[in-house]
Amino acid sequence: MVFTLSKGGKGFLSKIKDALSEAVYGIALHGQVSAIKRMKMYTEYLFMLMTVGDMLGIPLVPPYYTLRLLPYMVPNIKSWKLRMLRERDVTDIITG
Amino acid sequence: MKVLSKTGFKYLFDEMPDLRIVIFAGKGGLGKTTSSASLSYKLSTLGKRVLCFSTDPQASLSDIFERNLFGKGEIEITRNLYVLEIDADKKIHEYVESIRRKIKDMYKIDEIPREVEDYIESAVAEPAMYESAVYDAMVDVVAEGRYDYYIFDMPPFGHGIRMVAMADILSRWIDKIFEARREALELEAAAARLKGEKLLEYEDQMMKELEYVRDRILSFSRLISDDKRTAFIMVLIPERMAILDTEKAIEMFKELGLRMRGVVINQVYPPWLLDDPRAPDYLKKRIVTQKPYIREIVERFRDLIVAVIPMQSREPKGLEAIKFIGDELWNSSIDISVLEALGGR
Repeated sequence: MVFTLSKGGKGFLSKIKDALSEAVYGIALHGQVSAIKRMKMYTEYLFMLMTVGDMLGIPLVPPYYTLRLLPYMVPNIKSWKLRMLRERDVTDIITG
Repeated sequence: MKVLSKTGFKYLFDEMPDLRIVIFAGKGGLGKTTSSASLSYKLSTLGKRVLCFSTDPQASLSDIFERNLFGKGEIEITRNLYVLEIDADKKIHEYVESIRRKIKDMYKIDEIPREVEDYIESAVAEPAMYESAVYDAMVDVVAEGRYDYYIFDMPPFGHGIRMVAMADILSRWIDKIFEARREALELEAAAARLKGEKLLEYEDQMMKELEYVRDRILSFSRLISDDKRTAFIMVLIPERMAILDTEKAIEMFKELGLRMRGVVINQVYPPWLLDDPRAPDYLKKRIVTQKPYIREIVERFRDLIVAVIPMQSREPKGLEAIKFIGDELWNSSIDISVLEALGGR
């Protein structure tokens, strides 16, 4: 956080308030938030396993329909495949 | 299952007052498309609005009606008779393109990431893809509900029909998926609240898509397993292979929890030709050759025989031929007693 005293920006007091809340967040909540994010990531991965599991050889929903969900998963696919495969077999990472 | 009082679709419709959908199933080349077209035509002449639906990539309906109908949408052939011959490959291609476009638009990218493209390509290569697209189109036309009757000329079965057996399990899985999704969403919201951030708007749309998928799969399953509204009919001919295949198909249907309502026997030589002095010996020989197979069909499928189509002297093309076969399907001149006599003689 950078402190500047520009006229158009926020007042000095509110800057201090922001800084304080950042500090409080860092001390008290950051651990919680990252724990939540990790859990969220796992449920996300579970969800992907259930829907586009055929990517890993576990077909469940016909691919004609999973394609509809694909766009929403794009950002997660790469890390998901890596993780799912890593937890099973190291060679999968090399070959896949 | 009740045996029909007489042979013909007329009696099937009498017995099944809620019957709206007839699905002709089985191997290619035995008369599925001809039967679909003929029954559709017959129903249309009775003043009902009928849709005859085919997915045959060889465009057989176009041949029968002597018009190019392939991939052209619903076309009115005669009064009340509409024909839809869908181009499933084109449908799949367009669908996949729309998915690609959506990904590019959503993430403002020019090229689909490798791992995503890999998935799309392998999904398209999947043989079940073709069937799923066809079934999806079936659900579409029936859901629109613009016709009194729907006559489907089903593609030969592959893996896709398994979707029926899976529908129940799938639906339960999707419930679980919903739960997982909701949990993920709650966590996301909790994290966002703590950090004072906003949630991505995609989440909601994804749940909607999921609901849509479940709805489609259940609709298809309901459509084909409702044995009051839908009748599965197999077409067979008096030949060894066809008889064995029909038996196997009936077995497979049972395993899927579906019911084969009946069979249509095609290419039966009219037995009265035997007593016709003008009929050549060659023809009489053919009739006698069919005898054991007719007997076998009567023995094995007696309760299932819905209609009999006599052997045609020429290729069934054009409305004239369709009209003749339609009449035979409706009220067969070769009925069960004639068949019995023929098989036993």
